[in-house]
Amino acid sequence: MKKRIIASMLCVMMTASLLAGCGGGSSDSGAAADESSTAWQDVDYSGEDPQLEKSIKILSIWAEDNDNGILINKICQDYKDNVNPNFDWEYEYVAADDLTQKIATLSSSNDLPDLFAYEAGAPLTTLIDADKVANVSDLVDALDAWDSLSESAVSIMKDLSGTEDLYDLPLGLNVEGFWYNKALFEKAGVEVPTTWDEFDAALEKLDAAGIQPMATGGSDKWLATRLINAYAVRTLGNDVMTKAANGEIPYTDEGLVAAADKLASWADAGYFGEGVTTVDANTAASMLMNGQAAIFYTGSWLTQNLTDPTQNTAGEDGIGFFNIPVYDESISSSTSYSMNCGNILAMDKAKLDEGTAWFMKYFIENMGNVAMEELGTVKGYTYTTSTEDMDPYTQLVLDEIAKSTEGFAWWEAKMNAEVSSIAQENVQPLLNGDMTGQEYMQSIQDAYDMSGN
Amino acid sequence: MNKVLGNKKAIALFVVPALILYAILVLVPVVWSLYYSLYSGSPGLQWEFTGLDNYVKLFHDKNFVNSLIVNVKYVLAVTVGQVGLGLLLALMFKFWLSRCKTIVRTLVFFPVVLPTVAVGQLFAKIYEIQPNYGLLNSLLSAVGLDNLVQAWIGQESTALWALCVMDVWVAMGFYSVIFYGALLDIPDDILEAARIDGAGSFGLFRHILLPLLRPMIITCLVFSFSGTVKMFESSLALTGGGPGSATKSLSMYMYDVSFTYNNVGYGSVVAIVIFLICILGSMLINRFDVKEKY
Repeated sequence: MKKRIIASMLCVMMTASLLAGCGGGSSDSGAAADESSTAWQDVDYSGEDPQLEKSIKILSIWAEDNDNGILINKICQDYKDNVNPNFDWEYEYVAADDLTQKIATLSSSNDLPDLFAYEAGAPLTTLIDADKVANVSDLVDALDAWDSLSESAVSIMKDLSGTEDLYDLPLGLNVEGFWYNKALFEKAGVEVPTTWDEFDAALEKLDAAGIQPMATGGSDKWLATRLINAYAVRTLGNDVMTKAANGEIPYTDEGLVAAADKLASWADAGYFGEGVTTVDANTAASMLMNGQAAIFYTGSWLTQNLTDPTQNTAGEDGIGFFNIPVYDESISSSTSYSMNCGNILAMDKAKLDEGTAWFMKYFIENMGNVAMEELGTVKGYTYTTSTEDMDPYTQLVLDEIAKSTEGFAWWEAKMNAEVSSIAQENVQPLLNGDMTGQEYMQSIQDAYDMSGN
Repeated sequence: MNKVLGNKKAIALFVVPALILYAILVLVPVVWSLYYSLYSGSPGLQWEFTGLDNYVKLFHDKNFVNSLIVNVKYVLAVTVGQVGLGLLLALMFKFWLSRCKTIVRTLVFFPVVLPTVAVGQLFAKIYEIQPNYGLLNSLLSAVGLDNLVQAWIGQESTALWALCVMDVWVAMGFYSVIFYGALLDIPDDILEAARIDGAGSFGLFRHILLPLLRPMIITCLVFSFSGTVKMFESSLALTGGGPGSATKSLSMYMYDVSFTYNNVGYGSVVAIVIFLICILGSMLINRFDVKEKY
C-alpha cells in the first residue's frame, strides 16, 4: 500500500513539473522579449558597432550555395569578420513548399526565427494581424537606413501587405513582362507591340507565318493567370485586384470576365500550341529560347536562363523584352510594371533586440552591393557597384526597372490560400475551353464567399 | 496449452502489448481527428470550437463532391484493372508461356519496384504533346491516326483515365505474381479431370479456377482497394491533380484543406470520410467471402 501511495505521488509530481515547465518557459521568454523590445528603439545607431554578443537564427528557402542563400551567408560572414566577432548565426533551410506550414507552426508556438523568408501578400498580412512580425519601418527609422532601400521595392511591399508601414525586407526586385524571340519576330515581320490591338495583330501574324505565337507554363498554372492579370490591370487599373479582394467590386465584374475570356480566346485560337496545360515553366522558357515559340510572359528571373549559353541558343541579343501593352494610358500607363520582391524577409517581433538591430544595419546597408558583386542582380537595395561590364540581359532588366514609375502585383497576390488555389486550378479548364471566362471568375467568387469573406 | 490459454493473465500478457501499440498508432489518431473535426482553423492559429459546422459544410462543398467522384471512378477502374489484368497475366504465365516465363514475369513485376515519382515522370513523357510528341502521340501519328493525337494528361476528358492506365501498369505485376503462386497450388489432377470431363478453356476457368482462386481474388481486391482509395502520390506526380481538379482525390483535397488553406478542422472531417469509405469498402468486399461459407 505504501508503495502505491509513493508511486502515485511521484506521478502527480512528474505531471505537475511537466506542466510547470511548459508554463514557466513561455512566460519567461515573453518577459525577456518585452524588455528587449523596448530597449532596441532607444539606442543611437549612428556610431560604431558595440560588438554585442549575439546569435541569430535564420530560416530560409535557399540552400547555402544558391541565390539568396549565398548572399545572406556572405553578409553574416562579412559582419562577423569585419564588424562584430561576437556575432554568430544558425542557417536553416526549408523547402519552399513547406515554408508557410513551418512558419504557421513556429508562430503558434511563439518560436519564430529571428529572420525568416516568407511570402508577401496575404500570408504576411496574417502574421502582421497576429502581431508576430517586427515593424521594419520603425527599425529602418532607428537605423536611419532608408537610403539603402530601393524606393520602388518599399512601395511594392507596403502595397502588398496593405499597410502604411513596412513589415518585411526585399530579397529581390523583379519586373515582369513579355520576352520575345527577335529572330521569329523578324521572320514574321512583326514589330514590338505597344497596345493590345497591336499585340493581337502580332499574334495573328506570327500564327499565319507558321510560328507558335506564345508559350506559357500551363501546368504550373501561375504563369497563365499572370496573362489574365496583365489584361485586367491594363483595362481596369493597377488596383483592380486589390478592389476585388476588398469586396469593392465582385470577381465576376464584366471587365475581369473579359480578361479571362481574352486568355481563353488565345488558347482557343491555338496560339499556345497543343496541350498547353501540360507545359511547365522551364519547357516554355526553353521553347522561347530555342525558337519554338515567339513570346513568353514571365519575370526578370528569366535572365538566369538567358545568360546561360547552354540554355539560350538565341544568343546574347536573341531575346528582347517589352512591357505589357497599353489599353488606355489614363487607366494604366506604359511605365507601370508588374513588379514584385520575390520571397521576402521578415523578422520575429519578440526576438528583435539591439544586437539584431546592429546586424540589420549592416545587412541593409550592404545587401545591394553584395548582390551586385556576387550574383549581378538587384535585390531591392541601392548599390554603388559599377554596372558597366554587366551582361546585356541583366542590363536590360536594370533599364526596365529604371523606367518604372509605378508597380502592381500579380493575380493572386491579395487572395487568401483557398481563393488563390482555386484561381490557379481553374485556369487549366479555362485554357482547355472546359470553362468560360464567366464560369472561371464565378468559381473564384464562390471560393471567396465560402472562405468567409 | 489449454491451461496456459485458460489463464487470463497469460492472455493479457500476449495481447496487451500489441493492443497498446495498436491503440497508440491507430485509435488515438482517429479519436484525435474526431476531436479536431469540431474546430475550425489550425491548432494555434484561429482555432475555434464550431461544433458540427464542419460536417454541415461538407454537404455544400462542391470541391469535396468532385474529389469524391474522382476517387470513386479511380478506385473502380484501377482495382478492376489491377486485379483483372493481374489474373490474366497469371493465367498467361501458367498456360501459355512455357519457355520465357521467368523473363516475362520479371519484366512485368519490374514497375512495382520503381518509385512513383519516376513512373510519373516516365508517363508524363509518354503522354507528352508539347514541345515534342511523346511516345504515344508519336506512335499514333506514325500509323496515320493523327486525329487521335491529343494532350492525354492536359484535358479533363482523358486525364483521369491516363492516370488509371499508369497505375494499373505499375501494380498488375504484383497481383500477377500472387495469382501465379495461387495457380501453382491448384493440383494438376483436378485440371486434368476437368478436361477429361470435357471442360473447355472457359469452362475450366469459370467452374474450376475461379472458385479455387476466390479467396485469393478477395484478398487482392482488398489490397488493391485499400491502395487505391488513398490515391495521392501517383496523381501528384503525373498531373498534380489537374487539369483543373480532374484528378484531385479526396486525400489530395484533405491535404490542401488542412495544410494549404490552414483549416485542419475541416481537413479532419474529410479524413474521417476517407476512413469510413475504407471501412465500408473492405466490409463490402469481405461480404463475398462470407457467402462462400453457407
